[in-house]
Amino acid sequence: MRDELLKSFVDMDEQEAVRIARELIETDGGAAAVLDTCKEAMEEVGRLFEAGEYFLSELIAAGDMFNQIMEFTLPKLQGGEVASIGTMVLGTVLGDVHNIGKDIFKVMAEASGINVIDIGIDLPHEKFVEAIKEHKPELVGMSCLITLGVDSMKRTIEVIREAGLRDDIKIIIGGGRVSQAVMEHVGADAWADDAARGVRLSKELLGKE
Amino acid sequence: MVSPEMQKLAEERAARMQAAIELKEPDRVPFLGLGGDVIAAYAGITAHEYEFDYEKNRAAVIKWLKDFPADSATGGLGGLDNLTMSVAFVDFPDLANQFFMVNGPMNDVLDMKFARFPGRQLDANSSRQFIGGKNMEAEEYDELIADPVKFSYEKILPRISNNLKDLGSPTSLAAMARLGMVKAQQAAEMGKLAQALAELGYPRGGGMTYAFAPLDYIGDHLRDLPNVVLDIRRYPDKVKAAAEAILEVLVKWTLQGKAAGAKTASFPLHLNEYLSPKLYREFYWPTLKEYILRVRAEGMNSRVFCEGWHDPHLDTFLDLPAGWGYVALEKTDVRKAKEMLQGHTCISGGIDVGVVISGTPAKIDEYMKALLGDMMPGGGYICGPNVGNLPRETPIENIAAVYEAVEKYGKY
Ligand code: B12
Repeated sequence: MRDELLKSFVDMDEQEAVRIARELIETDGGAAAVLDTCKEAMEEVGRLFEAGEYFLSELIAAGDMFNQIMEFTLPKLQGGEVASIGTMVLGTVLGDVHNIGKDIFKVMAEASGINVIDIGIDLPHEKFVEAIKEHKPELVGMSCLITLGVDSMKRTIEVIREAGLRDDIKIIIGGGRVSQAVMEHVGADAWADDAARGVRLSKELLGKE
Repeated sequence: MVSPEMQKLAEERAARMQAAIELKEPDRVPFLGLGGDVIAAYAGITAHEYEFDYEKNRAAVIKWLKDFPADSATGGLGGLDNLTMSVAFVDFPDLANQFFMVNGPMNDVLDMKFARFPGRQLDANSSRQFIGGKNMEAEEYDELIADPVKFSYEKILPRISNNLKDLGSPTSLAAMARLGMVKAQQAAEMGKLAQALAELGYPRGGGMTYAFAPLDYIGDHLRDLPNVVLDIRRYPDKVKAAAEAILEVLVKWTLQGKAAGAKTASFPLHLNEYLSPKLYREFYWPTLKEYILRVRAEGMNSRVFCEGWHDPHLDTFLDLPAGWGYVALEKTDVRKAKEMLQGHTCISGGIDVGVVISGTPAKIDEYMKALLGDMMPGGGYICGPNVGNLPRETPIENIAAVYEAVEKYGKY
């Protein structure tokens, strides 16, 4: 059944994937199997995206399927079965209200085992600082879709540094308007303008790949 | 009074643009100029003043265009897309286009849920924001398909405007009456700006009116983008039928713009980057293509602004007859596009605003020299920024460097 779930998920057959997941979950150790299979499927979708075979339409559909299945899977899991490889505070920077790319990245990061704390959009610099103090993440992710957001990122990172927190975290920036040059300009540690690459780099920053 | 020299200048500018669209080499490369939030900063006013004070707005635009002249005028009272209202009032050609952009004073009257303006919902120096949202449920597709105009008026308008939420109430009637007053005042103010622009040698009327891929109406104003992407898989037939129903209304609306003097239909594309080539060709392109052809049959050309990354869909333009109009590119490499479209479709863009913001005049000169050197040969190229908005903080010397480079390297 795991193979069928994997196949229908990767082939974007939403109804089948959800149906099989519901069946599988009733078997012994089923919830953990569903979780693992869906993570594997998300990884495969990410690979197909990076290879140029899948597009955002597929990432969105996959993310939606993942969330649908997790809604009835997570409550059935025992505490120890959801292993996390690290924590990330994630948000869209001040002046920018775009959230779709951030949300796609979030699902894929979660599927890869990162515990993501989503703090929202259009975020005042202090919100990042507060969230870092509260959640003590290893990673901070910033999403930026508009040119105006580049300066916001720079200032947010300055504020994080002023708060004495910069050395405790790695910062990865993402979204349609980031690049190597932007990364250097704002003082981040990594950048990605696609979610699959973002997940890969996040794992690297966590020392997990 | 517009002097004969300025009239001649306006004609030259218009001819330059037209030649490029016709895939020819003009005397010099047509240049769209740069603009955006930086116009207000350059005039020493806040974004709030720029958006709400007609006189300060006009003075700022004139100062900008005097110091940074280009082949088309930029700046003025902008606004946020309010396509729902144009659809809802499409049977009133004197109004539908007037309602299309909600600017600051209009929003004071309508109080749109999707809109935020500087000095109101935002800081005085923020850029205005369209924040979108989901305003329609999947179950409502049949109603939308049956009558997009009625549906937009009865169902959507009350959901997006706080002051029109109860249609027919005194609050809503007062809002519409006030909207009329605001529009009358703005028409007078716009007339003054148009006159000032003519005196600076800019072609009258700007020549552009808006148009949208039918699926973008659903994505931007009705369902919210990610939902449309899911709807395409879940209710493919309904999505197609809705796009076709909306097409009829939107074509009618764009042609009203033509009747008012516009020559070009300007389409900003939004769902493009989301869709695989397969979905693009099946769901998005057919009604967009039909739209372009229908307005062309009425004598208009089109400008298609391919927001984001459009590489996988570029070849669809080859379905259109050569010289149909031009593409404006954002993240798609203009050089690659030229390889594919040369001799068929005019290309605009190429100036990465990121370079203008963070570069140095020397680097910009080098960048522009390379860009023009690659893009000008053979014609069919309009030089311009990849996106329209330069932030307030953009170094003015960098902007000047762009204009100087166009002057230096832009002759054919
Ligand atoms: C959809 C959209 C909107 C929607 C947003 C809906 C929403 N809830 O998010 C609406 C209609 C509301 C909107 C509004 C506006 N928009 Co808009 N919008 C777009 C559009 C068409 C697509 C953006 C998008 O969602 N892309 C798809 C996502 C999935 O891609 P992505 O964000 O890059 O994310 C991917 C990766 O980057 C990565 N990723 C994302 N975040 C992160 C974070 C981390 C940490 C990592 C590692 C990775 C990662 O994963 C994702 C999947 O691969 C773009 C054009 C374009 N194609 O870029 C314009 C665009 C971004 N918008 C633009 C503008 C100007 C605006 C407005 C300011 C317009 C206005 N005047 O009101 C307002 C925004 C107000 C504001 N201040 O933010 C401009 C920005 C120009 C610029 N350079 O500054 C663009 C580029 C359009 C243009 N003119 O060319 N917009």
